[in-house]
Amino acid sequence: MFEMVDVTVRFNAGEALRGASLRIAPGDRIGIVGESGSGKSMLAACLMGMVPDAAKLSGSLSIDGTDMTGAAEATWQAIRARRTAMIFQEPMSALNPLRRVGDTVAEPMRVHLGLSKSDARNRVIALFEEVGIPDPVSRLRMFPHELSGGQRQRVLIALALACDPELLIADEPTTALDANVALKITDLLVHLSQSRNMALVFISHDLAAVARATTDIAVMYGGDIVERGLTAEVLADPVHPYTQGLLAARPDPQAIPRDANGSRRRLPTIPGTVPPLYAMAQGCRFSGRCSVEREECASVKPMPVGPRHATCHAVKRGEA
Amino acid sequence: MKSLPANFVIGAVLVALVVGVAGLSLIWTPHDPTALNIRGKFGDPSAVNWLGTDQLGRDIVSQLMAAARNSMTVALVAVLLGGSIGVALGLLASAIGGWIEDGVMRLADLGFAFPALLFAIMLAAVFGPSLTNAVLAIAFINIPIFARVARASANQIWTREYVLAARAAGMNKFTITRDHILPNIAAAVIVQATIEFAVAILAEAALSYLGLGAQPPASSWGRMLSEAQTLMYLAPELAFYPGFCIVIAVLGFGLLGDGLRDITDPRLARAR
Amino acid sequence: MMYFLIRRTVGFIATLIAVSIVVFAVMNILPGDPALTILGMDATDDALAALREDLGLNEPLLARYFGWVAGALTGDFGLSHSFRVPVSELISERLAMTISLAVAGMLLTLLIALSVGIYAASRHGKAGDWVTMFISQLGIAVPAFWLSILLVLLFAVNLRWLPPGGFPGWSEPVAAMRSLILPTVALALVQSAVLARVTRSSALEVMRQDFTRTARASGLSQRRILWRHVLPNALVPIVTIVGMQFAALVTGTIVIENVFYLPGLGRLIFQSIANRDLPTVQALVMLFAIIVVTANFVVDLLYVLIDPRLKARA
Repeated sequence: MFEMVDVTVRFNAGEALRGASLRIAPGDRIGIVGESGSGKSMLAACLMGMVPDAAKLSGSLSIDGTDMTGAAEATWQAIRARRTAMIFQEPMSALNPLRRVGDTVAEPMRVHLGLSKSDARNRVIALFEEVGIPDPVSRLRMFPHELSGGQRQRVLIALALACDPELLIADEPTTALDANVALKITDLLVHLSQSRNMALVFISHDLAAVARATTDIAVMYGGDIVERGLTAEVLADPVHPYTQGLLAARPDPQAIPRDANGSRRRLPTIPGTVPPLYAMAQGCRFSGRCSVEREECASVKPMPVGPRHATCHAVKRGEA
Repeated sequence: MKSLPANFVIGAVLVALVVGVAGLSLIWTPHDPTALNIRGKFGDPSAVNWLGTDQLGRDIVSQLMAAARNSMTVALVAVLLGGSIGVALGLLASAIGGWIEDGVMRLADLGFAFPALLFAIMLAAVFGPSLTNAVLAIAFINIPIFARVARASANQIWTREYVLAARAAGMNKFTITRDHILPNIAAAVIVQATIEFAVAILAEAALSYLGLGAQPPASSWGRMLSEAQTLMYLAPELAFYPGFCIVIAVLGFGLLGDGLRDITDPRLARAR
Repeated sequence: MMYFLIRRTVGFIATLIAVSIVVFAVMNILPGDPALTILGMDATDDALAALREDLGLNEPLLARYFGWVAGALTGDFGLSHSFRVPVSELISERLAMTISLAVAGMLLTLLIALSVGIYAASRHGKAGDWVTMFISQLGIAVPAFWLSILLVLLFAVNLRWLPPGGFPGWSEPVAAMRSLILPTVALALVQSAVLARVTRSSALEVMRQDFTRTARASGLSQRRILWRHVLPNALVPIVTIVGMQFAALVTGTIVIENVFYLPGLGRLIFQSIANRDLPTVQALVMLFAIIVVTANFVVDLLYVLIDPRLKARA
C-alpha cells in the first residue's frame, strides 16, 4: 500500500506539486492525466524517491505505513525495482546503448536479489516471454539499437518487472510508439497488472489509452489533482472545467462536433497554454484559461469538494 | 547584457597583466635585464632588486619582464603565421571542395603526427638551435589546427541561405569567402587563436628550457628555469618566479579562450 | 566492419609513408649538404668526401630514401655518426626507459583523471566539483618541466625521500623504480589535468541521458551507475583525448628525461643534436612520429570495440 498525503514539491520557481494525495493498493490501476507541466511526472518521481535535489518535499509519503518522506537515497535504492518500478517515455534513449539488453535486465536481479549469472539469465528469458518478446534467447544478446521501438519498450517493461515490484509506474509509455504498437503495450501493461496483482500507475495525456488501461483516474493541472474518480465516470461526465475542456479537445471520430448546418466545426481547444511554474496563479491554477472563472479564483486556492474531490470554486457553488 | 562568464573576466585580467608587463618592458625595466654584476650575485630581494638577483647578478624582475615580452612575441608571431596559413588552407578546402579538400585535410592529419617538439628537434639538428626555429616549429603545428577549425566552420556557413543566395546571384567563390565566410568564422578562429596562444607560450617555454628556443643572452622564462635547475641547492627560489609567470600567462590565455567560446557559442558552454 | 578496418589500415600506412617522406626531406634536403652540417664549415674537403661516401650521399636522393626505408623496416637505421655504433643499438639500449616512462605515465594519468573526472561529475555544481576543476584548470597551465623541478625541490632536495635525477640501471630494480617515481608523477599530473576535465564534461553529458535515469529507477547505487553505465558511455571522447595525450606523453618523455637526466631516447635525441648526428636524430624523430601515428590508429580501432553501434555502421 502506497500512500501520499498532501505532498507538496517546491522549487525556487514555485510549486511543481501542490498538496497531492493518492492511495495505491495492490492491483489498482490508476491513470494520471494532464498536459506537460501538470505535475504528473513529479508525482511519479515522488513515488520513486527521485525528486530532484533542488526541490523541497513536504507532506507525507508512506509505503505500508513506513514514512518515506525524508528517506535517504540508500533507502530508496532498496525500494526501487523491488517495490516500485518505472518505465519511461522514450524507449529509444532509456536503454544503455553499450549493453546487451539481457545484461541490462539481469543487472537489478543480480544486484538486489543476488541471483547467479545463469539464474538471472533464465529469469530474463522468462520475463521476455511474459512481456511478449519473441525468441528471447537470441534477443538477450542484442543491443538496443538492434531492436524496434516497441521491442525496446517491452525490454524496459521486463527490466521494471525484474524484481517483482508491487507498483509499476508507466510515464507516457506509449507516446513515442506507433498507434498499433501503443495499443499492444497498453494491453500488455493491463495484463501484467492483473496477472501479477501489481498496482499500475499509468501516466498519459492520451485519454483513450488511459480509458483502456485504468479503472481509476486522477486529472492534474498545474501541480494540483483537480478531479478524481472512476475512469469511466470521470470521462463520461467530467465535473471540473479543466477536465471538461480536456475532453472537449479530444479528437473523437465518433463525435466530431458539427454546427447547425451539419458541417464540421473546428475542434474546441482550451485557450492559452500552461504557464511556467513561476507565473502560476496563487489560487486556482487553471484561472486565466477557465471559462467559468470568478474574481476569487486567481487568489484563493480551491479546496477539493464533492465525490470527485474537484478543486474548483464554481463546483463548490454548484455552478459547474 | 548578461554578466560575463567568470573564466572570461579572470582570463582577461591575467592577460591584461601579462601583456601590460610585456608592453612596459619595451620602454622600461627596473634594470638592464642582461647587465651582469658578479659581485651582486644571488642577491636577496631589496628596494633595488625587488626579487633579488640571479647567479650572474642580473635583476630577476627585469629578466621576467623581458621574458614576458619575448614569450608574447614568439606566441604572437607563431600563432599569426601558423594561423593565417591554416585558415587560408581551410577556407580554400571549404570553398573548392572535392579532392582539394580531401588533400588539404589529409595534409592536416599528417601535421598532427608531428608535435612541436619533434619539429623543433629536426630544425635544431639541421640548422642549430635558435628562437627562429622554435617559432617556425610552433607555427607549423598551428597550421593543421587552424585549417581544421576554419574548414569545419566554413562548411557550415556555405550551407546558409544568404550564401546560397549570393551564389545564385553569380558571385564567385573568392568574393563569397571574403565577404560572407571569413567574417562568420572569425569568432571561431579568434577563440582558437586565444587557446593556441596559451599552448604556444607553453611550447616556447619548453623549447627554451631544452635549449631549442631562446639563446643567451635573450631572456626567457624557460631558459631561466633551466639555469635555475642547476642551482637548486644554492638558490631554489630562482626556480619559482619564471614558472609562476608561465602559469599566469598560460592560465590567462586559456581562461580567456574558454570564456570567449562560452560567449560566442552558448551551446558549447552548456556542457561546462 | 571489414571495410572500415581495411580503410583505416590503409590510411595508417599512408600516413606512415607520408611521415617518413617529411622526416627524410627535412633532414636531407633542407640542410643542402648533410655532410657539411655534420662536420661544420671548417671541415676539410677530404673529410667531407669521406663522410659523403660513408652516409651514401653520393647516391641519388630517391635511392637514398628507399634505402633508408628498407633499412628501417629491417631495424637497420644506419650508423650513428658520433657514437660509431649502429643507431638501432643505441635505440634498443634506451627504448625500455622511454617505454616504461610513457606506459607508467599513461596508466597513472588514467587512474587520476578518470577518478577525479567522475568524482567531479558526481558532485556537479558542489564544492568538490569546483575545487577539482579549479586545480585541473591550474594543472593545464603548469609546464611539466616546472612541475618536475618543484617535485625535485620538495621530495629530493628538502625531504630527501627520492633521488633528484639520474638512473642506477635496471640491474638495481628498487633503486631504478625509485628514480622513476618523480618523472612518472610529473608526466601524469600534467596530462591528467586535461583528461579529468574531458572525463567530467563527457560524464555530465551522459548523466543527462535517459538511460541513467532508468538505471537509477532500477535501484542501482550511484557508484554503480557512474562506473558501470556512465563511464563506458563517456569513453568515446575520453579515448580520443587519450590517443592525443599518449602522443603528448611520448614527446613529454623527451622533456622529462632531460629534466631528470634519465638515459632514454629523449636524452639520446639531445646528445645527437649536440653532436650533429643527423642519422640518429632522423631515426629517433621517425620513431617518435611512428608512435604518435600508431597511438591515433589504435584509438580509431578502440572506438569500434567500445561502441557496438559503430560496429554496425563501420
